[in-house]
Order: sequence, then C-alpha cells, then structure tokens
Amino acid sequence: MASIAISASLQRAYSSYHIAKKQQPQPKLARSLGTKQASTNAVTLKVEGQTSLGVTEQVQDKSGSRIDELGNAENTAKDGAETESSGMKFTDQRWKNGIWDLNMFVKDGKVNWDGLIVAEATRRKFLELFPEAATNQDPVLFKSSIIPWWAWLKRSYLPEAELLNGRAAMVGFFIAYAVDALTGLDVVGQTGSFICKAGVFATVVGVILFRRTKDFDNLKKLADEATLYDKQWQSSWQDQKEKKV
Amino acid sequence: MTSIALKSFVGLRQSSPEKNPHFTTTTQAKPLTFTVQNPRKLRVVAGKFSPKVAGRNLRVAVIGGGPAGGSAAETLVKGGIETILIERKLDNCKPCGGAIPLCMVGEFDLPLDIIDRKVTKMKMISPSNVAVDIGQTLKPHEYIGMVRREVLDSYLRDRAKENGATVINGLFLKMDMPKEENSPYVLHFTEYDGKVGGVGVRKTLEVDAVIGADGANSRVAKSIGAGDYEYAIAFQERVKIPDDKMVYYENLAEMYVGDDVSPDFYGWVFPKCDHVAVGTGTVTHKGDIKKFQLATRNRAKDKILGGKIIRVEAHPIPEHPRPRRLAGRVALVGDAAGYVTKCSGEGIYFAAKSGRMCAEAIVEGSEKGKRMVNEGDLRKYLEKWDKTYWPTYKVLDVLQKVFYRSNPAREAFVEMCADEYVQKMTFDSYLYKRVVPGNPLDDLKLAVNTIGSLIRANALRREMEKLSV
Ligand SMILES: Cc1cc2nc3c(=O)[nH]c(=O)nc-3n(C[C@H](O)[C@H](O)[C@H](O)COP(=O)(O)OP(=O)(O)OC[C@H]3O[C@@H](n4cnc5c(N)ncnc54)[C@H](O)[C@@H]3O)c2cc1C
Repeated sequence: MASIAISASLQRAYSSYHIAKKQQPQPKLARSLGTKQASTNAVTLKVEGQTSLGVTEQVQDKSGSRIDELGNAENTAKDGAETESSGMKFTDQRWKNGIWDLNMFVKDGKVNWDGLIVAEATRRKFLELFPEAATNQDPVLFKSSIIPWWAWLKRSYLPEAELLNGRAAMVGFFIAYAVDALTGLDVVGQTGSFICKAGVFATVVGVILFRRTKDFDNLKKLADEATLYDKQWQSSWQDQKEKKV
Repeated sequence: MTSIALKSFVGLRQSSPEKNPHFTTTTQAKPLTFTVQNPRKLRVVAGKFSPKVAGRNLRVAVIGGGPAGGSAAETLVKGGIETILIERKLDNCKPCGGAIPLCMVGEFDLPLDIIDRKVTKMKMISPSNVAVDIGQTLKPHEYIGMVRREVLDSYLRDRAKENGATVINGLFLKMDMPKEENSPYVLHFTEYDGKVGGVGVRKTLEVDAVIGADGANSRVAKSIGAGDYEYAIAFQERVKIPDDKMVYYENLAEMYVGDDVSPDFYGWVFPKCDHVAVGTGTVTHKGDIKKFQLATRNRAKDKILGGKIIRVEAHPIPEHPRPRRLAGRVALVGDAAGYVTKCSGEGIYFAAKSGRMCAEAIVEGSEKGKRMVNEGDLRKYLEKWDKTYWPTYKVLDVLQKVFYRSNPAREAFVEMCADEYVQKMTFDSYLYKRVVPGNPLDDLKLAVNTIGSLIRANALRREMEKLSV
C-alpha cells in the first residue's frame, strides 16, 4: 500500500530515463522470445485441447483460457513489463562491483553506517520498481550483516530490536522446545529440530505483527491463518467422527 | 492387446452369475445379525470377518497413470491384487518442473538413465539479486534428480504392467456407487484404441475398490464428493537456449524470489534434458501470472538470452488436502488428494509415496487379495500418511507464510540460506525426507541469526518507506 505510493512518485522521478530507454531497440532476447511466442501459442492451444480430452473442468478451464488470452495479451504485457526492466540499472558511484564501497561512506574518520543503510534502502527500493536481471558477471556481494548492530539501534530501531531479540528469541525458543517435549518423542523423532525452528519463526513473526497491529481483529486473523492449514488437514478426520456419532 | 484383455475380462465379470449370489448372501446375512448395533461397531466387526472374494482375487482400479497411479498399481499387483490402471493419455507430458529427491531414486528403484540431470547447485536469488548457492553442503553422491515426466510416468506404469497389471488407455468418466455393502463399483470410461483422433468406445468395468490418482482435476474426487481445495496456478515455459548458455545450467537450478516474480511462491529455472524450464506460480494473484512469468524471464534474462520458447504450459497445484480423501472403498492419492508441499511445491515423491501407501493398505486389508476390503482398511492409509508427513507439510506451510510473504522476509530468507547449517538441514530433509535432529546450540544460533536477518530486512523496509514520503 505504502509502496504503491512510492512507486508512483519514484516512477515520476525516473521517468526521463524510462522514456529514453523505451525508444531504444529492445534487447535481443525480447525479440526472439517475442516472435516465437505467437507461433508457439497456437501450437500449445491445440496440445492443451488434446491432453484434456474433454476433461475441461473448472480449474483446467481457467488455466486453458489463460493460455488462450496469452496470445493477445502477451504482447501488451510484454511491452509494459519489458520496458520496466529494459536496461534500467541501478547506479551509484559508491556501488562498485556488487558491493558498497565503504571508503566512500567514511565521515570524520568513521564509517557512516546511517548513510549506508539509506543507500541500501534506496537500492532495494529501486530494484523493487525496476527488477534487474541477476547476472553472473556482476553478482551482488553486499550483505546487510556487515552493518554493526548498534548502527541499527542508533537509527531508532532499538525498541523492536530489543523486544525481538530479548522476548521473542527467548519465548520462541522455549516454546518450541516445550512443544517438542510436551508432544512426546514421536514429534521429536519425526521432525527433529525443524519443528523448533518453525516454532521460533512463527513466534518471531507473531511478535512483529503483534507489535505493529495491536488490535484484536488482526490477531484473530493471524490465529485463523495459522490454524487454517491444520483445519484443512483435519477435515478428513472430522468426517469420520461425524459418522461415528 | 489391452483391449482384448479387457473384453474378456468384462465378459467374465458380467456373465459370472455364481459370484453375485455370494455377495448377496453375505450382505443379507449381516443386517440380520447386527441390526441393533451402532454403525461404528458394525464396521469393525465387518472388518474382521470381511468376506472372502470367491473364485478370484480382489479387483482394484487405479484411475490416472502419473507417479501416484503408476506406483499404486505396481504395489497392488505385486500384492496379489487384480489391478486395472486407466490412463487417458499414455504419452502424457505433464507440465512439471520434474525435480525429484534423491531418496525417491532408491525407494522406487529408478534406473539412473531416466534421470536427465543431476543438480548439485541450487541458487536462491533474492529481490535485490543476492544469490546464494544452497548446495554447498552436498556430498559427492548427493543430487536432485531432474526427470522428464513422460519418461518417469511411463516407466512406472510399464513396471506395473510387467508385473501383471492391466493398463487401459481410457478416459474415466464417472462411477456408480454400490447399492449394497460389498457389491462392486461400476466405472464408466471411454477406451481409446491408440489411433490418434479416434473417438473411443464407451465401456464399463466392475471393481471392488478404486484408487483415484487422476491429478488436480480429479473426476474420482468429484464422484465421491471429496470437496475442493485451494490451488495455485503454475506457469512454465520450456526454453531452448544456446549451447554456450546451457553450460551454466548443466547441473544448476535457480529459484528467484521477489514480489516481481510471485507474491507468494518462487520463480524457477530448472535444467531439463536439452533445454531449461522457466516458470512461476501463485495462489493469490492468478490473473497476473503472465506478468510474473515475464518478470521471471527478465530476471534470468542474461542467462537465457537468445532462447526460443518451445512449449508453454500451465497447470493447477493443490495447496492442501481435500476435505474428504476417502469414501467407502474409494481413496484419493497424489494431487487428487492434494499432497503437494507448500514452500517447495513438491509433489512427485509424495504422489508416488501416497499411491504406494494406499496400495499397501489395500493389500494388507485384503490379505493379499483374498478378502473384501472396507473403509476401515483404507483409513489405515490415511492414518499412516498423516502421521508420517503431516509435520513436514506443516513446517513448510509455516516457512512459506513467514518467508514468502514480503520482500524483506525474502531477503532474510536468502541471507539465512547462506548459512551452512541451514543448507544441511534443508537438503537433508529434502533429499531424504527425514530430518536428523539438529544440534541445540546450532539451533539457537540459527534462531538468533534469523531474527537478526528479519530485523535488518524490516529496518531497511522502513527506511525504504521513508524514502517516498
Ligand atoms: C508447473 C509445475 C511444476 C512442478 N514442478 C514440480 C517439481 O519440480 N517437483 C515435484 O516434485 N513436483 C512438481 N510439481 C507437482 C507435481 O507435478 C505433481 O504433484 C505430481 O505430478 C502429482 O502426481 P499425480 O500422479 O498425483 O498426478 P498427475 O501427475 O497429475 O497425474 C494424473 C494422471 O491422471 C491422468 N488422468 C486425469 N484424469 C483422468 C481421467 N478422467 N481418466 C483417465 N486418466 C486421467 C492424467 O492424464 C495424468 O497422467 C509441479 C507441478 C506443476 C504444475
């Protein structure tokens, strides 16, 4: 939601590049894929018709028609999306060979981590708007973990970090192990520590969400979502219970 | 020749009046003895003394000849059961990534020549293009197998056939439910004689039990009112890329995550025999699938440059099991039941496994085809299945919910995957479908690191939000 607003504004900011790029000839891939597309579609449709052999049920119908649409829609979709990534490349003089050049962030003899955080956020934002091809020639080597923990804290992430590190890690971890112990050897034997990890992850997410959305409705939704999958699985057994009664 | 076998078979069944009295007497006898008892007890008792099938062996039909159907039929026929497999298209090339875990090769005795490629490198690529090779901890003999489905499916089917199963090229249409306990199910189907474009002949077949292995659009599920499931739509293009580009994908598969490629799944480039499969899937935004496919192609752009699309395919993938997987003597397995994992979207192994497990329950319940089976016998399969695999499904569901939900979470996920311990755990559980218990200290470290990654990614996200305002 927030990101949509952002994309609109950034789009404007970059629109000059955008248009310039658009007029350039499309990259070779786009062309060769594009031309092939039209002919393949016709073939595929036929194949689809044969394989289904009249088994056009709801789901297949949908997928079928989607392929169908593809013929017409593909070209327009291609234009739209292709330009979006047509060579728009993130550039920043501090970004060199897939990594932020820390020397460029030095202020008063110290690394300006705040600046680095903002720079990386900008890069990620840009990539969300203009996804870039992942290439083997210039791999991304930067890791956010090189930024020390206190730099995050200083940028007022203190409350969350503290809360998460302290409460969630502890609570989550112990819950996970408690679950393991309580449910008996069977679960431990089957899932080993993976259940613990899942427990940890679930707790962390729970805490993040809890902090953000303190209202009850969302919590309830979360609970519903967390248990939906279980319910779906258990329904075959409810079926049997009903019969028993 | 299958049709000849079938004809004589149908004839035998229809013109064998001596069997019907057998069934009628037993069914009539029972209500007399047990009328006042509650139905549950009746079933248990009936299970113990289920009637012998006289003059023949138990007759079971398997609908669908994918991995679920093929392995079910093999196990049935080896267990002494008269097995009929109905597949609508014997050279069916199911849209599928075709990745199978190492343990499947051993457990199903697959010959190595049906494995086109042995993938030993798996690259996860984050929204900001951080790439992590999650195959570093693989041992020299470990790999993910890449198969062509038309090859795997027909291999499994043929093996069932060699062991004595009857394979019919036919389209299952519907079935009539038995009116009395232990009387047969009547299957209606159209048989094809193999000639292309032939209309086929409508036939019927009487069987004692049915295994529905007919995939996501299962008609067997429909006939027993099994209910629906949520499904993801998966889209895949087979792209023939220049030889020099293919070198990179020799033994490497790629998974792309990000809002651009899919809001709730991943985009992939899998190597096939002489081309690559580029695809993506989604549950929540099915209408946008083409956009996601394009984005996936764009992210892999440099590596598939100059490629030609040789085939486009789309197919539903179930998200969870159907509300009912069993009714009377009809059980669902594989995609028909809904056994695809979240997170990885894996279903071939689980289809084959569930087919086998269901068949084993029938073999056991019928004492190698000598006795009639009932719902209680088939339920043993469900019990065993849920007990063995439910935790796996659940964990992957949680992982998907946590890590595929937003770009920061995906960044954290990829970061986490760089960790050797995570790789080892992930691959062990994927390749062998079992989990070696982790080491508590490593678990703790992992938990802390994961939390760290999530915090950092979320902090950056908030920073990104600030940028706009
Ligand atoms: C794009 C895509 C990629 C995937 N990638 C992977 C992957 O990499 N690894 C993995 O493990 N899983 C993958 N899956 C999931 C996997 O394909 C399925 O889980 C698996 O095929 C299920 O096998 P099955 O035997 O249950 O059903 P299916 O393979 O669907 O087989 C059903 C069979 O029944 C036949 N049939 C259907 N209806 C009838 C009828 N009325 N009469 C007669 N015959 C009938 C069909 O022709 C078909 O042969 C992928 C799925 C998709 C869509």
